[in-house]
Amino acid sequence: MRILLATLVSAVALSAADPTFVNDVQPILQAKCVACHGSTPQGKLDLRTQESLLKGGNAGPVVTPGSVEKSLLMTKVVTKQMPPGNVKLSDAEIKTLRVWIEQTLPAQAAASAPAVKEHEVNAILQARCVRCHGGLEQRAGLDLRTMASRLKGGKSGPALVPGKPEESLLYKRMANGTMPPDKMAKDLAVELPTDPEMDKVKAWIAAGAPGPEPLRPPTEAVVKDTDRNFWSFQPPVRPAVPAVKNAALIRNPIDAFLLRKLEEKGLKYSPRSEKLALMRRVYLDLTGMIPSNAEIDAYLKDTSANAYEKLVDRLLASRHYGERWGQHWLDLAGYSDSEGFGQDDGVRPFAWRYRDYVIRSLNADKPYTQFITEQIAGDEMSNSWKQTKVADQAEIDRLAATGFLRTTPDPTNSNERGLINERMNILADEVEVLTSSVMGITVGCARCHNHKYDPIPQRDYYRLSAILQAAYNPYEWKSPNQREIDLATEGERKDVETHNTPLEADMAKLQTQMNKLADEFRVKFSAEAEKPVEEFAKTEPAKITVTQLEDKFPDFKSKYRAIQTEQQATKNKLKRKPHVRVLTDNPETSVAYLLRRGDPVDYGEVVDAGVPTVLANAAIKPYEIVPPFPGATGRRLALAKWLTQDNHPLTARVAVNQLWLRHFGRGIVPTVSNFGHSGQAPDNQPLLDWLATEFVAKGWSLKTMHRLMVTSEAYRQTSQVSEALLAADPENAMVSRMPLRRMDAETLYDSLLTATSRLDAESFGSATEITVTPDKEVIVKPGKKGFRRSIYVLHRRQTPVSLLDAFDQPTMTPNCTERRQSNVATQALHMMNGSMTWDLSQYMAGRVMDDAGSDRAKQVSEVYLRSFSRRPSADEIKLGTEAIETFRKQWPDRLATDNDAAPRADRANWMALANYCHAILNSAEFSFID
Amino acid sequence: MNNNRREFFSRIADGLHGTALMSLLGSDMYAAAPPVFDLKAKAPHFAPKAKSVIHLFMNGGPSQVDLFDPKPTLKRLAGTAPSRELSFAISNGKDAGVLFPSPFEFKNRGKSGIEISSALPHLAECADDIAVIRSMYGEHANHEPALFLMHTGRTIASRPAIGAWVAYGLGTENQNLPAYVVLDDPKGLPINGISNWQSAWLPPIYQGTRFRTEGAPVLNLESRPEIPTQLVEAERSLLRKLDDMHRVQRPYQPELDARISSYELAARMQLEASSALDVNQETEATREAYGLNDPVTASYGKRCLMARRLIERGVRFVQLYIESQIWDTHGNLSTDLPAACAKTDKPVAALVKDLKQRGLLDSTLVVWGGEFGRLPISQGAMKTAGRDHGPNGFTVWMAGGGLKRGVVHGATDDIGFKAAENKVSVHDFHATILHLLGMNHRELFLNRNGLQERLTDQYPARVVSEIIA
Repeated sequence: MRILLATLVSAVALSAADPTFVNDVQPILQAKCVACHGSTPQGKLDLRTQESLLKGGNAGPVVTPGSVEKSLLMTKVVTKQMPPGNVKLSDAEIKTLRVWIEQTLPAQAAASAPAVKEHEVNAILQARCVRCHGGLEQRAGLDLRTMASRLKGGKSGPALVPGKPEESLLYKRMANGTMPPDKMAKDLAVELPTDPEMDKVKAWIAAGAPGPEPLRPPTEAVVKDTDRNFWSFQPPVRPAVPAVKNAALIRNPIDAFLLRKLEEKGLKYSPRSEKLALMRRVYLDLTGMIPSNAEIDAYLKDTSANAYEKLVDRLLASRHYGERWGQHWLDLAGYSDSEGFGQDDGVRPFAWRYRDYVIRSLNADKPYTQFITEQIAGDEMSNSWKQTKVADQAEIDRLAATGFLRTTPDPTNSNERGLINERMNILADEVEVLTSSVMGITVGCARCHNHKYDPIPQRDYYRLSAILQAAYNPYEWKSPNQREIDLATEGERKDVETHNTPLEADMAKLQTQMNKLADEFRVKFSAEAEKPVEEFAKTEPAKITVTQLEDKFPDFKSKYRAIQTEQQATKNKLKRKPHVRVLTDNPETSVAYLLRRGDPVDYGEVVDAGVPTVLANAAIKPYEIVPPFPGATGRRLALAKWLTQDNHPLTARVAVNQLWLRHFGRGIVPTVSNFGHSGQAPDNQPLLDWLATEFVAKGWSLKTMHRLMVTSEAYRQTSQVSEALLAADPENAMVSRMPLRRMDAETLYDSLLTATSRLDAESFGSATEITVTPDKEVIVKPGKKGFRRSIYVLHRRQTPVSLLDAFDQPTMTPNCTERRQSNVATQALHMMNGSMTWDLSQYMAGRVMDDAGSDRAKQVSEVYLRSFSRRPSADEIKLGTEAIETFRKQWPDRLATDNDAAPRADRANWMALANYCHAILNSAEFSFID
Repeated sequence: MNNNRREFFSRIADGLHGTALMSLLGSDMYAAAPPVFDLKAKAPHFAPKAKSVIHLFMNGGPSQVDLFDPKPTLKRLAGTAPSRELSFAISNGKDAGVLFPSPFEFKNRGKSGIEISSALPHLAECADDIAVIRSMYGEHANHEPALFLMHTGRTIASRPAIGAWVAYGLGTENQNLPAYVVLDDPKGLPINGISNWQSAWLPPIYQGTRFRTEGAPVLNLESRPEIPTQLVEAERSLLRKLDDMHRVQRPYQPELDARISSYELAARMQLEASSALDVNQETEATREAYGLNDPVTASYGKRCLMARRLIERGVRFVQLYIESQIWDTHGNLSTDLPAACAKTDKPVAALVKDLKQRGLLDSTLVVWGGEFGRLPISQGAMKTAGRDHGPNGFTVWMAGGGLKRGVVHGATDDIGFKAAENKVSVHDFHATILHLLGMNHRELFLNRNGLQERLTDQYPARVVSEIIA
């Protein structure tokens, strides 16, 4: 049986001649089918009533109104599979069933169906037609987005004739299969309209094509006042700093809030950390690297009372601070240098600008409000970037900042992966990045249904999503390649120019050579022209093509091709003009819908752009859109303005909680991306609220908050824990100690580089390449100056650096609000047997010998200071020197087999020290932070 | 559920230290009984039919109408034009050909009479041991999203793979080997690379570990060749002393303990993994049966045999891949499809027979299938015709652990284009695998950001009970 496109409904009105179930169909079924499909129905299919018939049986519905081909009942009777036995249905009976399915049922459905509204039809046109007949393009002069433009039509006349579907081109062409054209639809990632969609369009036109209805506020109150009273939906109120018994321990109010809780339980802080242990902790925490020996010496020499505070200030002023905390922020944003799909996992050529923006902003201690405003709506803060191709760093940064909402995997550079489903997924992922990072709420479940636990109705999800939909218009989509703008700093342009100009001159020179060569042979060609087809060569030699020359003169071909190859090689050396990867609004926005069950083509009501209703609060200003300039909707700018109000219930709390998590190992609200009902309650709400209000009072300065946290007495506690303390505060929710922690992947990588003097401290710019070995290990090769920090290493989703991956560097899908840490055997294998640690160990041994000479005790001491930021005990020196000696004894035999001219004794000493360094870098003490 | 308590233990991968600590902290720790993030064997929700899974992933999308799903109607309509819907299903409209019957003969096989084409002569001998689902359907006609869908339940790269879910739910029975092992083809990673066995937001201990089938099974498993063996030992001994000194001063730090024992596990894994993958320990008869002596079948046969050896040692989930996309028969169907079969048919059948003969088939679930099927129309010129991707109806089969044997479930339409009867979604398929392992797909979840995340997400999923014994 041929599968054919379903016959379209040809009549909507019931005619008297059409068969009815009771008069015509039921008698047939009664006689031929009900014996089996009756009271004890076979296959659970009961054919006694129209209702039970339409319900179907085990195999699903047996009848599809309007389509005989899609009706199993018809298939079975036509192919004589049913009824079993000798008595089959007659042709007349089959015809009755056919007409009933093709005409009666659709007519009945049409008669009882509710009137089709304009917004339902608009949704279909948006999804199927607007790509070519909309804002980006108006093929054949046609724009299908508004009533007026539909009526006006295009080159072929009006597209819409109310009341007359068959005369309305927009329906007619859709119904006869000419629109959208198959081939073009495929290329533009447009899917064909479905039969029910076409039926809807037809019914709407037939009913006179009523215009759009005004957006009505929802009648039912899904969000109640009691929902709004939940603590995190109310602005924080600054609490009084509590009094405590042990006031001597209070360095700042953080301690008062913590001690108050501890004292309630009869607990107190753990003892203070040793000086160097605290130094190592705060170095790793603020800069992500261990201190150098010189820094340790300087700190030990500083005996002033505020030596630690001065150290903290130095670290916060260090450019390495931005590189460390930039990584934390990139986690929240879900930063990656690749698109994340397909075999090639395409690199995002200018993603690094966003990474650099983040590092620069943090180092500059940009107010958090400005920081997130730029990231959400940098493109809407000014339109000067539209007028120029050269801009200063600040302008470029403001645009690159929007990379925050450009991080999620995006496969749509490929048409085949650009379908509406994918686009909606990208939009949804960006909503997740935004809400989980800066809003601290989980909205993902409201994509498909009202949130089960939190007062986030599905409508609110799509209102929030509509804010981003102005930039991510799913119907007139821009792929990643189309979201780069030609803009660079003067310096960058000059760099490219300086690099490219001589190359371009070379290319021109080569072109001249090629032309000259061709001309020489043209002369030869016209001279030798004999055949009639070559007659033109005598009068118009310029018309002789290179191909013709190549065909005739093999020596020309080889010479010409050689120059051509050289020219191509030169061309390959050209640098690409720098661009900026941005998020900008589409000039024309689409109508946003609530999508039932999250299905991108199951349109519910129209929604406006907005923020969650539960956060609409008398205490804060409402979300209000003011388009900043033509071509921008202002939706994202309005979101940023709304979010950065001083008394916003979430923004400051979520931000300080993220800082707290990273300094103390656990958020005050432990579920850092979920401050809602389904998240965990804060361990210490007064502390959280005090910090949030302090953050605002201090001009949203992140560095001020860091300083406050790391100079608290709480932060200076030891990580030592006793059995009793573990029982009293098992999860350390009261901060009765500091957590003992393993370095995260990047800290470990960067610290390996610092300890071994292999760090290339160059900041910014395009990422360091990665190499995939034949073993499929992904490694980084050192440059001339060593290895750059991990944040500058190319981060590709499909080929993460093996060492970083083993230590739980997240794959961004789409982002990571909190790292998980594992301690598994593969980490040991990478550290023990991987090439990087061994190469670094040898390098380190060389530098230790440079600094400490050949005295083994001094070497051990130097290694301890470099790796553990402390001096070894006498026992440790003994263990170390003995170990090195043991190692040394093993090497000479081995070295005797190589052809190296270097003295073997020296080499053995060096390699033995390398073994020692290797063991130290592998030790738990190196990768754990007390 | 107390997230933090679980978080507290989550970083302890080997589980040994978690227990000691839990008793130390008192019985209260057991009260809420959150699933601890470790790899210790865990009880399923109900008595399982199968204990472990061997997933034979057939990259590229094997053609159902040429292997498992005979369509006489297609023969009748040979050469006629397809419907608009069917011709639109092809990726490049220019390639859309005509209705294209299978060039392979189907026969009823075994006592069950399951129809299997002449392209799979070895599997045909196992017809009475397998349960065939002819009514699978997916969501996407491209490899990448379709692979993601089959592995994770969604067409995008953001969720844990089924193997990771199984490892999370059940742990494993051999702590010296990973719970979830991937045996990819030495000739190259499948499409989507390592994302196929990712753990996404499940802890990384649940992600698939690639065991390479040539050379050392795990990256950096062997010590550095340039360091003499005695030195490796001497260095290890120093490391143990350093770590012991460090640990003694830091009691009650489970993460530190876990990290130190991970080094011990690494050493044990060096021995156990190499031995598990050593197919030279097998008899010549077994090696012959899996096709190890024939260059055509040797590579895949070796992986099938390794899979059995891993399952025997208590590994929970083993996933096999096949070079690039040998089932992706866009052209030359009549030669390329038999070539793909030749590489895999004998090893796969040998695996089923071997498991059965060793009594392992009752406790092992073997799953065979790709990311989609293929269209019933020709693609390209008739002389070199192949078939394009067809996600709307395709076949998978399963065998062993708790399944009926020698049954067919579901049907496609008359031409094999779309699943038509007793349709089985990918979520149904996943729910069924979990069910056979003793897990209810609704009850296997991770609390994440206040959501209960599942393999089947919020999709309606139905266990295909018709094929379960």
